[in-house]
Amino acid sequence: MPQSIPKTTVLLEAAMKYLESELMPTLTGYHRFQTRVTVNVLNTVRRELELRGAQAEAEHRRLVAILGHDGDVEALSRELADKIRAGAISIDDPALRAHVRQSLADALAINNPKWLTR
Amino acid sequence: MGNEDFSARLQTAVARHIGAPGTIHDLQRLTGGANKTTWSFDADVAATRQQFILQLASARANDENNPLAGVSPHLTADEDARLMIAAVKAGVPAPRVRAILKPDDGLGGGYVTERVAGETLATKILRDDRLAAARAAMTKQAGKILADIHRIPLNEVPFLMKLTPAQHIAAQRRIIEFLDFHSPAIELGLKWAEQHAPKETRHTVVHGDFRAGNFIVGEEGIRLVLDWEIAQSGDPMQDLGWVCVKTWRFGGRKPVGGFGSRDELFEAYEKAGGHSVDPAHVRFWEAYGGVRWGIGCLSMGLRGMEEVGIERCAIGRRIEEPLWDYLNLIEGRD
Repeated sequence: MPQSIPKTTVLLEAAMKYLESELMPTLTGYHRFQTRVTVNVLNTVRRELELRGAQAEAEHRRLVAILGHDGDVEALSRELADKIRAGAISIDDPALRAHVRQSLADALAINNPKWLTR
Repeated sequence: MGNEDFSARLQTAVARHIGAPGTIHDLQRLTGGANKTTWSFDADVAATRQQFILQLASARANDENNPLAGVSPHLTADEDARLMIAAVKAGVPAPRVRAILKPDDGLGGGYVTERVAGETLATKILRDDRLAAARAAMTKQAGKILADIHRIPLNEVPFLMKLTPAQHIAAQRRIIEFLDFHSPAIELGLKWAEQHAPKETRHTVVHGDFRAGNFIVGEEGIRLVLDWEIAQSGDPMQDLGWVCVKTWRFGGRKPVGGFGSRDELFEAYEKAGGHSVDPAHVRFWEAYGGVRWGIGCLSMGLRGMEEVGIERCAIGRRIEEPLWDYLNLIEGRD
């Protein structure tokens, strides 16, 4: 079945445009603040839809290289966290450092891209 | 309890602890958090109308059914008030406590302090043109205030939880284990902290959350230091590192809370008799502060998922900001 139109990201854009350009100017105080937070959250969802697919594939490749076996990306990430906790991998391991750095940068590109350039 | 009933009980408490008649005016709820609610009110005491703040502990704050109760420091309302009294006595600009509520006041745990005017919103403190002179003065003031906080006699506040750096990190680890969260970035941060925690430290009162957002600021600078409820007894350098954590710069460029330089802070601290400062030691607390705040965002994000609340959900998505900052600090990329 072909994808329904308008596609997801356009639906989100339309919702954000209404909230930000039309609703927000009519609000003050608590509801203005909450609406601002809501627009930010929808922007995060939009960026996640655009970016997460490619990020997850790269994350999967990095985790397989570090851990030496395949698996689901979330399970592999959990396994790596547990290995660090148990001291089974050195926190000075360059591949580990590079992986953590890239994963944080990827997440920030979705959650708050401005933080990367501060 | 209805509003009328609440106001009547408050009047009785004011008359009893501060002065008659205690007639209440302009009672307004300012904030309601998970741990406490804050009210503003005026009251007639003798012939004058005075301005007060009421802090009430919520039932949840020291709930013994909370599986994490006692893991990290959290003062009862009574202890919080007693610490602020000791702080004022030591010359620290803490709220002046006028009454500590008793059980038969019928209001629950809490206390009344004098209300002081000024700005509390961190973004306004850092950007408002009218507060330019305040910003210029705040770093030196912060150094002096911290030196004074770190001189409060520990024997006046024996209820403070005692935490060495290693115990502080162990408490964060227990929180992560309780939350059952498995993040390589957090684990790396905790492991780094365990390996680099300072072993030889002084041991003093530590405010624990000293930063803009917990100050009342006027045109001349910091008027009051608020929010003493996670104070502890531990390494005083924790407070100097925490105020440098990038999150607390609120978008400002300067490393100390967005308003000052580290050198100026350290110099003011030393000059006020707060002992010499080793910048590397403070840097440990700044980096570890990023890990600690990342775990704080995680806890709030998980609570946001439970209640499906927009604000806490949004804070949950801020977890990577302080983790990114600690990683840059430990790799010398800041």
